[in-house]
This record gives sequence, C-alpha cells and structure tokens, in this order.
Amino acid sequence: MASSAARAGLLGRLLDPAALARYDRLALHVRRGMGERPGDRRFPGRPEAAGIEVEAWKSYAPGDDLRHLDWNALGRLDTLLVRRFTAEREVLFHVLVDVSASMAVPARDRKLETALELAMALAYIALTGNDAVRLALLADDGPAHESPVLRQRASVRVAAERLAAVAPGGAVGLGAALEGYARRHPRPGAAVVISDLMMEPAEVERGLHALRARRYDVLLLHVLGAGELEPAREFTHGILRDVESGATHPIRLTRAARARYTALLEAHLEALRGIAERTETPYARLVTGAAVDAFVTTELARLGVVRRR
Amino acid sequence: MTGLGILNPAGALAAVAVGVLVALYLRERRRRVVPVASLFLWRQLPADETERRRFHVDPLFLLQLALLLALVGGYLRPYLEAAAGPAAGARLLLVLDVSASMQAREDGGTRFDLTRRRADALVGDLGSTDEVMLIAAGARAEVVLRWTTDHPHVRDRLEALEPLDTPTDLAPALELALGEAAARAGTRVALFTDLPPETSGLAPEALAAVDWVQIGRTDDNLAIASLRVEEPPFHPAREATVTVVVRNYGHARRDVALEARVGDELWTRRELVLEPRAMQSVPLAGPPGGGVVTVTLVADDALPVDDRAVGWIPPDEPLDVLLVSDSRALAADLRTVATSIAGARLESIDPAHYGDALPITQRTVVFDGFVPDVPPAVNALYVLPPPGNDVCPSARRLEDAAVVDWEAEEPVLDGMDGLGGLAVAHAAELVTPSWGTTAVVAAAGRTTFPMLVAGERDGHRTACLGAELVPPLASSDGLPLLLLTLGTLRWLEEPYGGRALTVETGLPRLAGPGAQAPVSGPHPGALRIAGDPAVLLVERTGVYRVGPPDDERLVLANLFDDRESDIGRDGAAERPATAPRSAIVRAVRAHEFGWWLYLAGALLLVTEWLVWRRRARA
Repeated sequence: MASSAARAGLLGRLLDPAALARYDRLALHVRRGMGERPGDRRFPGRPEAAGIEVEAWKSYAPGDDLRHLDWNALGRLDTLLVRRFTAEREVLFHVLVDVSASMAVPARDRKLETALELAMALAYIALTGNDAVRLALLADDGPAHESPVLRQRASVRVAAERLAAVAPGGAVGLGAALEGYARRHPRPGAAVVISDLMMEPAEVERGLHALRARRYDVLLLHVLGAGELEPAREFTHGILRDVESGATHPIRLTRAARARYTALLEAHLEALRGIAERTETPYARLVTGAAVDAFVTTELARLGVVRRR
Repeated sequence: MTGLGILNPAGALAAVAVGVLVALYLRERRRRVVPVASLFLWRQLPADETERRRFHVDPLFLLQLALLLALVGGYLRPYLEAAAGPAAGARLLLVLDVSASMQAREDGGTRFDLTRRRADALVGDLGSTDEVMLIAAGARAEVVLRWTTDHPHVRDRLEALEPLDTPTDLAPALELALGEAAARAGTRVALFTDLPPETSGLAPEALAAVDWVQIGRTDDNLAIASLRVEEPPFHPAREATVTVVVRNYGHARRDVALEARVGDELWTRRELVLEPRAMQSVPLAGPPGGGVVTVTLVADDALPVDDRAVGWIPPDEPLDVLLVSDSRALAADLRTVATSIAGARLESIDPAHYGDALPITQRTVVFDGFVPDVPPAVNALYVLPPPGNDVCPSARRLEDAAVVDWEAEEPVLDGMDGLGGLAVAHAAELVTPSWGTTAVVAAAGRTTFPMLVAGERDGHRTACLGAELVPPLASSDGLPLLLLTLGTLRWLEEPYGGRALTVETGLPRLAGPGAQAPVSGPHPGALRIAGDPAVLLVERTGVYRVGPPDDERLVLANLFDDRESDIGRDGAAERPATAPRSAIVRAVRAHEFGWWLYLAGALLLVTEWLVWRRRARA
C-alpha cells in the first residue's frame, strides 16, 4: 500500500480543480458499446419506438403507439406512417489500468502515476458527460480489483480515492486479464486499456480480441517510460531483472547494443500499431514527462476519441 | 532416440559437491542489478556473461568440475529412450456446439443432427486403440466424456446429446480443448458449430490447431426478441400492459400470427406482417387477470425455440400498511398518497401505542425512526433506523447524501430506474446486516454507504431505508424517494409464494431467499441452483416451479439472444487446422550409460593429475 503522504499527494494532484477544469467541456466519443440504461448518448441506426429525436418512419401496424403517428404524412401522402426515434443510452466506460510491478519501473519515470492521472482524466470526462464508469485495476491474472459502477460528478472523488490508493505489484498477463474481465462483464460498453504494454504483442492482441468479441468499443493507451526509450539514462551495464518474473539478463550497453535495442523497440511499437489497426482499436502513446492534459486535449482529440461537447 | 531419463533421482543430492567446489572458487565481485519492466526485448540482445560472473575460471577448475559432474551423473544412472514398436494410438477431441441455434432445421435434419452424423463418422474412422473425448460448448463448457477407447459408448453419448436453449460461448470450450491437446501429443481437435471462427473470442493463432467445421445456412427465423410486462404498483392486474418485440431475421417477408394466453385462457391474437430483417413492437393491453402470460408466434420457421416467451403478470395487490411514526405530518402526507391508489389501506399510530396495535393485521408495517424491541410477525420497512438497534444496524447520521450506485437485479428494485437523481438531506449510514443485501449505495462527503438494504429475516421480508421521509413527498424534490419507498413497499407486499423470477437461459442470476428443491417443469434437470448466495442457472426455456407446493416460486426462462436467433450463415465451410500436430507418443526402450560417465571421470582424473603435475613442475 502506498504511504499515506504519497497517497495524499497523488490524491491532491488527481483532484486538482485547475487541472480538471481543462476537461470540463470535453466528451468521450464512442462508436458502439450502447448500454442498457437511458442516457445522453445517441446511437443512430437503431431506431426505437420511443424517444426524442425522430430518426426514421415505418408503416403503421396494429398496436403501434398512435401518439407517434405522423399526421402530416397522413395528410399529404394518405399513408399511415409511425415515427421512430434515435436510441438514447448511457455508455459504461470500463477504465482498465495495468498496476502490475512493471508500471513502477524505471522508478523516476513514474509510469504508474502518469497512468493513474490519465485514467482519472478520462473518468472525469465520462462522469461529467453523464456516462458511467467502472475502474478496474489489473494487478495479476486473477479477478481485477473493480470499483462499483460510478455515476455523476459526485463520484469523481470516489474515483480519485480509489486510484490514489493503488500500489504497484503482481504480474499481469494482459491477454488473460482482459479475457477474464470480458467474461465477467459480457454486456458491451467502452473499454479504456491503460498499460505500458511491455509484453509480447500477441498477448495484447489476445486481450483486444477478447474485448472486441464482446462488442466493446476499445481504446488502447500506451504509457511508455522515457527511460525505456533511452535506456542509457538508467544504466550502462548491469544485470537486468524482470520485476514481474524475477528473471535476469546481463547486459553491457555498448553502442551496438543501444542501436539494436532501439531497433527492437521500434519494431515492438510498430507491431502494437499494427495490432491496433487490425483490430480497429484507437491507439495512442504517452511518454512519461509529457503533460497528461495536453495529451488528452490534443492527441486523443486528433484520434477523435475526445471531442468538444 | 526420443529423450533422456534417470533411474536414481535421489543421487541428485550428490550435486551438493558441485556447490562446494563452486563455493571454493567464489570471488566477491560487485554486481549491479537494474530492475526493468520486462526482459522480452532485452533477451533478444546477446547476454554479457561477464556481468554475471563472480569468479575467475581456470582449466583446473573446469577439469575438477567436469570430473565431479561425470561422477554425479553416473550415480544418477541416466538412460536414453529409444523408440520401439508401433504408435500407441491417435486421439480425437470433439467439441460440439450445443447452443440454441443448433436446433435450427436444415435440409436433412437439425444442425445438431448434421453435427452428430459428422462426429459419428469421424469416430467410425478411428482405430480400436484410438482415444476420443467429447466437450459440449453452450453458454459454458462441459466435458461430456473423458478420454476413452470405448467407441460404442462414445456413439451412445453422441446420440443422447441434445442442444440446449442457451447462447453460445465457444472460448471456454476451445481453451479447454486446446489445453488437453497441448498436454497430449498427437491430439486432433475438431469443432462443430454454426458460427464462423471470428466469433470464437480467441486469437487466429490459437485456432490454427483446430479443425473448424461450420454447419448451417438457412436464415428462415422469426423470434420474440423481448417481452416486457409493466404494471403500476398496487394497481389491478387488468391494468397491466405487455410489450412484445417480434423480429424477422430472414430475408423474406413473413406473415405471422401472435397469440397471447394468461394461464390457459386465450387473451388475444394478432396478425403481423414483417418485412425482411424488420422488427415490430406489439403492445398488448387489458389482460383477463394475473398469472403466467405465454406469447407464441404461430410460424413454421426453422428455429421454434425462440417463437415462445413467458412472463408474469402479478395478481391484484392493494396497498395495506400500518405506519408507526410520531410525525403527524408524514402520516397525513402518506395518507394523501394512499388515497390516489385504488383499494389502498393505510393506518398510522404513535410509537408509544405500538404495543396496543399488536397483533398487526396489515400486510406490512413501516417504522419511521423507531425500531421495536420485538420485531413484528409481518413484513416490515424501517425508515431512518436509529443507531444501536439490532435489526437495521447503522453507524451514524449523515447530511446531504446522494445515490451513486444500485443493483438493478435486486428484486426490491424491480421496474425502478433513474435512481441517480435521488438526493436526501438527512441519511443514516447503514451497515449491511447478515440477513440482507445492499440494493442502493449512496455517498455523503467522503463516505459511501448502503442506503437501502433488503432481505429475509425470521421468515419475513424486511427492508431498511437509510433516508428521512420529509413531507411533502409528492413534491418534485421528494418524488424519487417516494418512488423508491413505494417500490420497496411493493416488494414487501407481493405474495411471497407466487413470486415469479424471470431469467434468460444461460445467464446466472441470484436466486434470492427461499426453498431450492424440488424443481418441476418441462426439463427439471435444466434448472440448477447452487452457491451462497444461491445463484440460479436455467438451460431450457419454459415455466419451472421451485420449492415445496405450499411455498413454491415460479421461474420463467426465455431465450432472448440476437446471435442465437439470427441463424443465417453465408460462409458455412470446413476450415482444417493449419498447425501441425505434434508426434504421437510411441513405446520406448531405455539404454543406461552411467558406466560410460564413470569411465569419463577416470580419464578426467588422470588428465587433472597431469595438468597439476605440469603446473607443479613449472
């Protein structure tokens, strides 16, 4: 568990009114994931018998609600037509944050805090946009530590307190974790996956397939440490120890080794981009040290994930 | 040669000698350990073993190490396995989709009949020593038959297997099958389903080892996509409405008749015309009375299981409440509300005179800010219970609370929505008691707490509401709380024995309190209740009765699943596995070679002596 001072400091940053105010006029855009409760989201293409905005007409059939009969059409065309309305539903955003031990290294990059700030920003946008949010912390392959479904602006503090209480630990197989989560929550929604993605790309693809198979609208956010882009900042030689598996690998960071690592990392990032394209998943990368609010308002806006209300 | 083994595993203890040797050569050398997120990129770079090395190695050390290893190795009595004889047998793992859509009629029988014939033919092609395993994939995976060479028994089980009325989830069954295949070399996995591989939920690489046989083509299906019963609380059953959504999943226009019955009595019949892929909502009003309503599509389509749906119209239940409160304003306000409900009866008394009112003749009693020493022998609602009571434990009073979450599946919240707008000025921080579950969660300040708790206590339904009822309840601010209170009263007042639970097949649902046996219905074995709290799972549609005759509950099971009802398939085909199966295990023969290691040890000893002598001379 994080120390109380660190937790209070993080909670203060997550609830900083000036930072949150930058997201006040934003909304998250989704293409699918229509929930079951009524809400502010409009889902054209699935007209319903009742609603506000007229979307389509159909021939009258016995039993249709006469209040929705189009009298103008009857007068002009002598045809009985019934109005159909755009479906309006709430969207449940599942914010899945990888809090495994790998998120704690390199220590000075503060990947986990960046991921939590990003999760808080998206949760805040969803809650203030009258959407529902469920926070899930992936710390191992077992069931995620999940919050109840949060609604309305009043739940912002509850969300922040849950995020501020997080301590990194455990080993996550993202594929198995997302498969398990999709199995436990089979009803469609929008899933925001935040992770350092330091794993085989096939593992990521497996998890995305599991979510997409349940008709989730998925957003993949990659939090990359600056020290992972430039490992020479962290060390020049030593025995590398995987914080999740405990396995070790001795390395001397020569010029050739640095070039080879950079090429491998580029190939890894390219593979992740390829997976995102194949699975039609919006994908964005945030390097630690960059401002989270700028990332949300520019990069995610460029992807079309965040829009002005 | 197929592998290496040892006959004396206990001899591994002799390897301690190697540790002693290494310890002798150990040199202190500072190492730097760098934690990293993952090694999967770094492992592709060559390891710099000098970073790991903690001692300097010389030829004499290597000779001594080799000598020790040779001696220890010989002591372990190692042997090499050699292949001998013919193959021990092949394995066939059959995964059969038993979801509802497999009941669809095709040319030559149902999809499952076609599947059964294909699977039977595969079993017939096997040799007598070949093993077979059967897995059924419905809403969950089930091992029908473990590995066996008894082929007639396999055919009997195939013949007895029937598709269920549930949705499909192929992923668990496929993962189970692939796990079995990975554990047993040479296993062929064959899946029979009417779904394409893209819907499996598994990555394409994982499916490379599966023979995927897709069966089915017809799209001729009409279905009842949903059935919703709405009845205002405490109103006569005749005022209930039923909304049925009918959908044509085919690409041809269809004429169909819809019949609705309440019990055995015909309620209404409608003639519908459905365009291709169209959906129509049919509202039905004015039922002859309460009871089980059965809606049937008279349509000769390919899939009959989704042509029938059942629902429950509660019988007439006028409000009958005793209010125990010292607030005359609240009593007057609730009485005003009661006058707007047909047949309602509401009486009120002061808490000081509660003892005079015993025994209570009303169906429900509401205690406002008061908990009696002896709980009543009827259902009860405790409003804003004071701290320190045993029935509805509460910690403290809170101000300005708002609802943040609720369990929509809790029976006490049936038909209620929009609780997100509920806010109260004064609340009690309830603690969930052992007899109940939390239905509504509220937040005040930095605290979240149960606001509505409901359950069964001493054989009576009991609810605790941690919110103050402040007149006028029918105002715009108080309306959400009034609706929540009336909804809770409806749950408290409904006849317990006749309560009906509506479920969808294949989806687990909390069973709630009450007897769990016996079960009667069209397929008693298809309804299962287990766990604590009890969870109910139904795999066949229909009306079931749970519990003894004097305390039975109805369980109404329907199939409302787009993917099962949308049975049309374009790409029915066979997709053979693309990954090669690993070699079949063969019988083995062992060749010991421990004595050769002893001989090598002797040679190493001589060599070491020579090296030592040479160094000594130098």
